[in-house]
Amino acid sequence: MIHVPAPDPFTVFGLPRSLDLDERALESRYLRLSRDCHPDLHRAADTGDCIAVLQRAAEINDAWRVLRDPWQRARALLELLSPGALDRHKRLDPVFLAEALDLAEEVARADAAAAPALRARLQAALAADFAALRDAMQRGDCDAAARVCHASHYHQKALADLDAKS
Amino acid sequence: MTTQRGPAPAPTQKPQRLVVGIDLGTTNSLAAVRAGKQARVLRDAQGEPLIPSVVCFHPDGRTIVGREAKALRLSFPDRTVFSVKRLVGRAASECGAEARVLPYRVVAGERDLPRVQVGDRQFTPEAISALVLQQVKATAESALGQPVEQAVVTVPAWFDDAQRQATKDAAALAGLDCLRILNEPTAAALAYGIDGNKDGTVLVYDLGGGTFDVSILRIEDGVFRVLSTAGDTHLGGDDFDALLAERILAALPRTAAVPAADPYVLQAVRAAAEGLKIRLSSETSAELELDLGAAGTAKLRIARSEFEATIAPLVQRTLDCVQRALKDANVRIDQLDEVVLVGGSTRVPLVRARLAAFTGKQPHTEVDPDLAVALGASIQADVLAGNDRSLLLLDVIPLSLGIETLGGAVQKLILRNSTIPTHRTEEFSTGVDDQTAVDLAIHQGERELARDCRLLGRFKLRGIPPMPAGLPRIAVTFLVDADGVLRVTAREQRTGVEAGIQVVPSYGLSRDEVKRMMLESIEHAQQDYLAREAIDVRNKAEAMVRGTQKALQLAELPPDQTYAVHKALAALRKLLAAGAGAASLKAGCDDLTRVTATIADDVIGAAVAKALREEQQR
Repeated sequence: MIHVPAPDPFTVFGLPRSLDLDERALESRYLRLSRDCHPDLHRAADTGDCIAVLQRAAEINDAWRVLRDPWQRARALLELLSPGALDRHKRLDPVFLAEALDLAEEVARADAAAAPALRARLQAALAADFAALRDAMQRGDCDAAARVCHASHYHQKALADLDAKS
Repeated sequence: MTTQRGPAPAPTQKPQRLVVGIDLGTTNSLAAVRAGKQARVLRDAQGEPLIPSVVCFHPDGRTIVGREAKALRLSFPDRTVFSVKRLVGRAASECGAEARVLPYRVVAGERDLPRVQVGDRQFTPEAISALVLQQVKATAESALGQPVEQAVVTVPAWFDDAQRQATKDAAALAGLDCLRILNEPTAAALAYGIDGNKDGTVLVYDLGGGTFDVSILRIEDGVFRVLSTAGDTHLGGDDFDALLAERILAALPRTAAVPAADPYVLQAVRAAAEGLKIRLSSETSAELELDLGAAGTAKLRIARSEFEATIAPLVQRTLDCVQRALKDANVRIDQLDEVVLVGGSTRVPLVRARLAAFTGKQPHTEVDPDLAVALGASIQADVLAGNDRSLLLLDVIPLSLGIETLGGAVQKLILRNSTIPTHRTEEFSTGVDDQTAVDLAIHQGERELARDCRLLGRFKLRGIPPMPAGLPRIAVTFLVDADGVLRVTAREQRTGVEAGIQVVPSYGLSRDEVKRMMLESIEHAQQDYLAREAIDVRNKAEAMVRGTQKALQLAELPPDQTYAVHKALAALRKLLAAGAGAASLKAGCDDLTRVTATIADDVIGAAVAKALREEQQR
């Protein structure tokens, strides 16, 4: 009895492995799957929640959390297309790292007046990251895509820190 | 309401599988049931739905629960236990601040678990909650005329794993099979959006006696999806009372002979504070003159504006939570379609005004804030009973779960506001050769360091096959079930050996303790049953006397029948006055039923039935 790894989120949702998913369709699919599998609607008459039902419902919820977020979706896709790619490219370019640290400092210093401009800049950087990611994936260059994923993490973190301040 | 043909309240429908919803509150508890698409609260013989969550251990040996117990709190302050929900699932050392203002004694038991000390007896908070739940169960059974065994029990959304588990344990001790632990704000949302046809984004603001919760939900096609929840398990109307109580204590003469910490004084002051608060919700100022005997007389006048200034920081704390919930839900204030108020403390005008100003929306208050949670729980109960498949709730875990890593940091495994059920599998290994056990410490909370989170318990993985260090691959699966309670399983990957898990909970009862207490309660069950039956019969007899009296005033009867009814009625009243046992009362009821029922088509039969129905609906 070897542990069976959880199915990937695309399989759970019965969707093609793709970076671009229609969010509205994804959401209605999630609600339908939940109706089909939630323990509240699938109880044996006199027993509690069956563990298999719980696990299936958990898989759906967990897959939904990954798929609804474009970056998490991208990571899941990368892991499927090129297992280990994300692990292999954890080391970042020192120049980029220095930039990321500067950015973190700027966020820490930003006052209410400076925040909107900085937020716009970070959002633009993230959009550019995602475009680069899509580009790399289309070329089938999983290594480049993995590097973009790691790099974008610093932009995401900076944006989250900025939001936490307001 | 069940319809009845004669005065004897016998159920006309055959008993069906029935799941009730129970709101186990800090201050009051109650049950509700949904039949057809209609949810209704279950009332006692006096027509009251709210059962004070108060237990009095009377010096004469009786255990009294509910309204009668609340009335006794001034007579036996150190033997009357209330607000026990604040102690459930917590450590004694965490309850210090609570215990200081409570007139009854809270002591630390083994494993630093809180125990309520009454005379020379000690009770766990779970056992006290179970007594309250038993009373709720008995009231529900009387109202329904059939046994109640299964329930959905509500908890504050912000309750952590230990507090949820403790609530389930209390239900088990009360002889209830708890099918689901449901979050209170989610239940309230159900009560408001009953048909599930009103799609939209809803904010539920739930300020109860001891806890505050806020949840953001999206309702779509009958699916109630919680997007986020935030709250404070130690913020509620009790805290408003405590601030007013301080004002009253300050108004006592300093030279008083009795220290203010005297339980009688504390209890009287708390009761007076609660009264002041309620008056200040409808009046712009209130006066109080409280004679405390040897402790002196407290005389004060307080304006609503003063009261509001005092509680303003607490109200602000609730709004900070609202802000956090909106942020976690990724919802802007202007995207909210509805704001719903629940919990008795939302009757305070300042709370309503501040929330309305903050959200820019007039909050909904159509459903009685004291009843909304129980009504919602009964709807979820109906879903779980399999009677309604149109509704679905998707709730979240309020606090992140993580494991302690080297150096005392916490690695988060499941993030707060994740939809439940949810799971996560992590691999662990061993540090030394031939190590056969690994200990995992599970924490809940948002802070980075283990010492700032709550240690839920230690999981000891046993039976790992001996291998060189680092070679075993132990997959540990953390599954948070639909009650928001954690379940852990583990397996060694190379050999497939299932690792044994021994759980040492930090709070609440161990599984063995629950089992032992349940066995003890079965021994008491027969006794409890007889006591409950006596109460039920008495209530029924009293209702019959009142109903028949009313009917006699309305009906014109032939003299011989008038005589027969009066005779049976007088006999039953005599039995009641004498405090007769269940068997005699039952016989008395039967006699009265016979004389009123034999005249089947007569006006009195109908009049009695009508009066009885009114009596029960009251």
